[in-house]
Amino acid sequence: MASIEFVNVTKEFDKKEIIKDLNLKIEDGTFTVLVGPSGCGKTTLLRMIAGIGPQTSGAVLIDGKDVTDIAPGKRGVAMVFQNYAIYPTMSVRENIEFGLKNNKVKKAERTELVESISAAVGLTDFLDRKPSTLSGGQRQRIALARAMVKKPSVFLMDEPLSNLDAKLRAQMRIDLIELHKKLGTTFVYVTHDQVEAMSMADTIVLMNQGLIQQEAPPETIYHEPSNIFVAQFIGVPPMNIDELGVGGVKFGFRPESAIGSTEAGTTPFSIRGEVVTREMLGSETLYKINYKDTSFMIKSLEDRFTVNQQVYVSVPTEKMYFFGEDGNRIPTSHPSYSSYIEALRSY
Amino acid sequence: MKKHNNIWLTVDTVLKVVILLAFIFPFLWMISTSLQTLEETMKFPPTILPEVPQWLNFVDAMTSGPFATYARNSLIVTISVIIIQLLVMIPAAYAFAKYEFFGKNVLFALVLIAFMIPGQLTFIPIYLMMADWGLIKTLLPQILPFMSNAFGIFLLRQYFMQIPEEIIEAARLDNANEFKIMWKIMVPMSKPALATVALFSFVSHWNDYFWPLVMTDSNEVRPLTLGISMLRETEGISNWHIIMAGNVVLVVPILIVYLFCSKQIVRAFVYSGIK
Ligand SMILES: Nc1ncnc2c1ncn2[C@@H]1O[C@H](COP(=O)(O)OP(=O)(O)OP(=O)(O)O)[C@@H](O)[C@H]1O
Ligand SMILES: [Mg+2]
Repeated sequence: MASIEFVNVTKEFDKKEIIKDLNLKIEDGTFTVLVGPSGCGKTTLLRMIAGIGPQTSGAVLIDGKDVTDIAPGKRGVAMVFQNYAIYPTMSVRENIEFGLKNNKVKKAERTELVESISAAVGLTDFLDRKPSTLSGGQRQRIALARAMVKKPSVFLMDEPLSNLDAKLRAQMRIDLIELHKKLGTTFVYVTHDQVEAMSMADTIVLMNQGLIQQEAPPETIYHEPSNIFVAQFIGVPPMNIDELGVGGVKFGFRPESAIGSTEAGTTPFSIRGEVVTREMLGSETLYKINYKDTSFMIKSLEDRFTVNQQVYVSVPTEKMYFFGEDGNRIPTSHPSYSSYIEALRSY
Repeated sequence: MKKHNNIWLTVDTVLKVVILLAFIFPFLWMISTSLQTLEETMKFPPTILPEVPQWLNFVDAMTSGPFATYARNSLIVTISVIIIQLLVMIPAAYAFAKYEFFGKNVLFALVLIAFMIPGQLTFIPIYLMMADWGLIKTLLPQILPFMSNAFGIFLLRQYFMQIPEEIIEAARLDNANEFKIMWKIMVPMSKPALATVALFSFVSHWNDYFWPLVMTDSNEVRPLTLGISMLRETEGISNWHIIMAGNVVLVVPILIVYLFCSKQIVRAFVYSGIK
């Protein structure tokens, strides 16, 4: 078990600053998910914790100790790589055992550990096979078993589920949540899939272009996004955003907060528009509504409207968000907040 | 359309047979001659097949000189060269493929240049050096100059470069030191390339004539190639049947090794992108 801390960390590749003065504390025993668009530096952060891609400046602390000079194999850290990085010439057993052998674990203990871990991830029947004869999901479990068997105090996972089909991914998500409960160690999990982030995390760290945009539990990220980027990154479809027309302020609302109706609403934000597309997704339906020269997505549990139909869209005031010119969210306590609400009436 | 295809298929097959014959004919000629009598080898027009196979030619060839010594020398030289080369090449190729260090490109350029310098340019200074060290009566002059193999380093480096960085990093996280990474990860993953390099080395040193000719002055240290060339002149006439019997003996080990390695070799060339 261990906490992880980044102190004023920067990382450059070929003189280009990829991570800019990053400070982050990951608490002991939490399931922290690093999420963000491709190329924002998620893998780079994990590699710094593991010690296989050291920071350019600043310090990485594990359990309060600066680990800059500690070799990757001695940090108590295990990592599941984005592409698994399984040793192809070794059998499944040898793959799982390799780290133990290097740590001079006795043969009897090794065998016992390998058997119990492979039973836990369902690899018992494949121990003597070569990885090339196994499926993607099975290989993914080798990578997991190889990390688990070392009993690390920090578990790093780099998009471990990205190569699996949707069903297996859903299953593995649950397995990983249970695994975290059982082990109680610190998990740092990288993904660019917000569903994974929302469903597994204790804390989400949302990054963009090497900067942390928000660090908070999933509920907070969803209900109180700190800026437009976060608001639009989390949620499918993303939050609707448009100019309020007052001092550069923008307003936004989530598609699922909007209420579609054939009668005019009474909330400050209430518009009449035309349905241009309808996507029936099973339990819910998505509509794209054209209004003046813009359009909004709304999500509804009932499938009531047809294309070309005129509908009213209203949004409850408490589900409205406002963002300043700098993109940051304007809190409800802001002195002009009520004037922004009023401004919605003339939108 | 179908007919057209048939024509090409025929041309293709004929060409393949021609090429095959061009390669295999000298070889069959060698075997045939090795089984003929002296008179038969000198007949005109030449006979293709021996009337009665003269198996004793092999015994004659092998008893006409200290062939056990020659064979022993060939084996010791070739095997030592291969082993030493592998020990030198693997770490060198690993470093060139996976490390960043000062002067890497210059050093690698030097390796490539070494690859292009023929032994005929360097044998005199090397001979003088070996003589100076008093090594001419040993096998070392045939081994020491070949401790490293530039072509091998080049081929292995290409191969190592294709091994994903993450596998090496995973091994580092598994607390493996660099030595372990090389022998437990890189080497098993590069078997085809290693087999190829080893085979090339085997063939070129087993067959080498020029270098031992220069570096030896007694039968004690001469390899098979020199022994067989000395079969050429006895009593003023060329004993082609005996020479060819000697050559067959020389070639057989290469065939055996090749049969064992051929699959790996093709894979190595496919992987490294040379083919
Ligand atoms: N070895 C490297 N050399 C040069 N640039 C690099 C290197 N590794 C990463 N980068 C750059 O650093 C940035 C962040 O890369 P990183 O791999 O951390 O992204 P990521 O968030 O993991 O993206 P993804 O979701 O696609 O995996 C990218 O712009 C990438 O091009
Ligand atoms: Mg990545």
